[in-house]
Amino acid sequence: MDALRVENVHKIYGNIEAVKGINFSVKEGEIFGLIGPNGAGKTTALRMISTLITITSGKITVCGYDVAAQGDDVRKSISYLPEDAGAYKDLTGRTYLRFIAGFFTDGEETEKMTQRGMDIANLGDRIDSKVNTYSKGMMRRLLIARAIMTSPRFAIMDEVTSGLDVMNAHDIRELIREIAGSGVTVLLSSHNMYEVESLCDRVAMINKGEIIMQGTPAELKAKYDAKNLEEVFIKGVKSVEQSV
Amino acid sequence: MNNLFNLVKKELRELMTLESLISIAVVMILFVGLGYMISDQTEQAMEPVRMGVINYDDQGSSTYYDTVNSALDGMYDPATRDQYLIKLYPSSILTDEETISLMQEKGLSNLLVVSPDFSDNIDNGTQGKIKAYYISANTGAFGGIDSDSVQVFVTVVNGAVSTELMNNELSVTPEEAAFLKSPVSFSMPDNYTYINGKLYSDITPSAISGAMMTQTLMVPIIIMIVIMVVGSIVISSMGTEKENKTLETLLTLPVKRTTVVSGKILASGIMGLVYGAAYMVGMYAYMSAMTASAGAVNLADYGLVLEPVDWVITMLMMFVSILCALGLCMILGAFVKNYKSAQTMTLPISVVAMIPMFVFMFVGWNSLPAAMQAVMFAIPFSHPMMVMQNLMFGDYVLVFAGLIYCVAFAAVTVLITVRLYNSDILLVGFGQTRLGRILAKYKKAD
Repeated sequence: MDALRVENVHKIYGNIEAVKGINFSVKEGEIFGLIGPNGAGKTTALRMISTLITITSGKITVCGYDVAAQGDDVRKSISYLPEDAGAYKDLTGRTYLRFIAGFFTDGEETEKMTQRGMDIANLGDRIDSKVNTYSKGMMRRLLIARAIMTSPRFAIMDEVTSGLDVMNAHDIRELIREIAGSGVTVLLSSHNMYEVESLCDRVAMINKGEIIMQGTPAELKAKYDAKNLEEVFIKGVKSVEQSV
Repeated sequence: MNNLFNLVKKELRELMTLESLISIAVVMILFVGLGYMISDQTEQAMEPVRMGVINYDDQGSSTYYDTVNSALDGMYDPATRDQYLIKLYPSSILTDEETISLMQEKGLSNLLVVSPDFSDNIDNGTQGKIKAYYISANTGAFGGIDSDSVQVFVTVVNGAVSTELMNNELSVTPEEAAFLKSPVSFSMPDNYTYINGKLYSDITPSAISGAMMTQTLMVPIIIMIVIMVVGSIVISSMGTEKENKTLETLLTLPVKRTTVVSGKILASGIMGLVYGAAYMVGMYAYMSAMTASAGAVNLADYGLVLEPVDWVITMLMMFVSILCALGLCMILGAFVKNYKSAQTMTLPISVVAMIPMFVFMFVGWNSLPAAMQAVMFAIPFSHPMMVMQNLMFGDYVLVFAGLIYCVAFAAVTVLITVRLYNSDILLVGFGQTRLGRILAKYKKAD
């Protein structure tokens, strides 16, 4: 069964068409990468999928729920981690996790979920420090813990390791592998082609609002006769530029 | 309900910081201090006036020297007279500059000078001359007291000399003179004023409205401050949510947008109520200090007092009007880009709150023309500004009409906010909408 189906989706801002009839699907338990240059429409697509912005036309289904008509049900199934997301700076890491857990469970279950988040974040004693004292890596760990502790069926992650050092980025990629291993479907967007290639089962590339290629990293590399996904990316973008 | 509680708790945790609680306490202390300062000033003003007198009419044969002296003596309690009535006897007639120097030397701020030809002039059928000198120091609300007191002194001297004159010229006894000067009897107990179904015989409507204005003068200011503070809180909160990118996370949680909006408004409303209550406590102390002053009209003596239920209605009105302000701020907050841009967004709300503040600081509801009443009624912040006076006068129709209007106003703003939360404007900004782009194009063409 498809965890996500995106069918002929358009998004128009005023007189600019940011997304031009994209189609792709993500299977349950899959890690799917959405790649593309800056301003290609990745974040707009992720925001539509996560119910943050409206769809101009077309249809998106997440875990069987129509994003346009069943937003509340979609939000119960997903977990969205935006690019450069932050947490409430006056809260401690623990109270932030408890605040989020409060929307998913009640009573003792909230505490259990919070504990799970704390285990994932692995921030030690610093979990009781205020969030505004956290480093970027600590903040990212907290936010990923927030996104995962709720056991979502579908996790959407935008530039999940952006700005992190090698160790932190590595830890977070391991974490994503772990959650995908536990059955969570992951849709991630990244500029880091190594990350996408090493993590994703399948990849779609978006450029100027259109999906220009999709497939497994191996299929795409073979198609473009490329050594790695970065080369695929460059050839893909250039081919679009030449065709215009 | 659980989600709403969770959101309100989080918002309050962020809003009720040590810094904000300290600022509330400081404002409360300032009000109490202000009350005691004004009370002290009022009490000072109620003390007998320290008056200097130079009577140059002391020529031995002057007809009215004793009359003037007796009249002035009669103004004071004999036990403390020498403390307050300072009679000066310069060896010669002083110039204006020398008079001021003498006043400074004696620590006097006002001085009456009876001219040397005072009695002679009156004996010759012309008016006797009295001059007054002041050293102006207090320019505040009570700055007019010295000159007012001198006027009273001159009136008393005038009356005494007039009585003496009638006695000398027309052989009229002092009692007959008093009658001739005032054949009509009219004093304070002769004023009958009907207040809230009861007739009082020693008060005038102007005295009531004067006392009420004094005691409720701070209410519009407090309401305006509270609205500005909570407005700023909620708009800044929206700006911070956008800047820290917590809004996107919040909007993808399994919680209805109505709950998110309600949570923000409710938490800020509670915070506003805390501010309002703290200011009210401060104001209550301020009012108590004012009414405790000697000579002040005690409105409670005339049934013009707020019962506990009236205080509840007042707080409710304040809360609902704060919700209106918050609703408006949430609408404006939807358009802010970050914390910095949020700071300027409170301006429209502040201006709207200032209009009724200035009106109700000086004019009561019943004194307003119908068109102005309609405008004031339409501004939701007017209602808490006038609620205390309306409750004191039992004008419950206006109070409850205002309350219902404010509830409806707040509900409409919440609905508009929820609609905005369900739209793209919140995340992509007004500039990305069709209207925003048309306006941007138009601006560029300009």
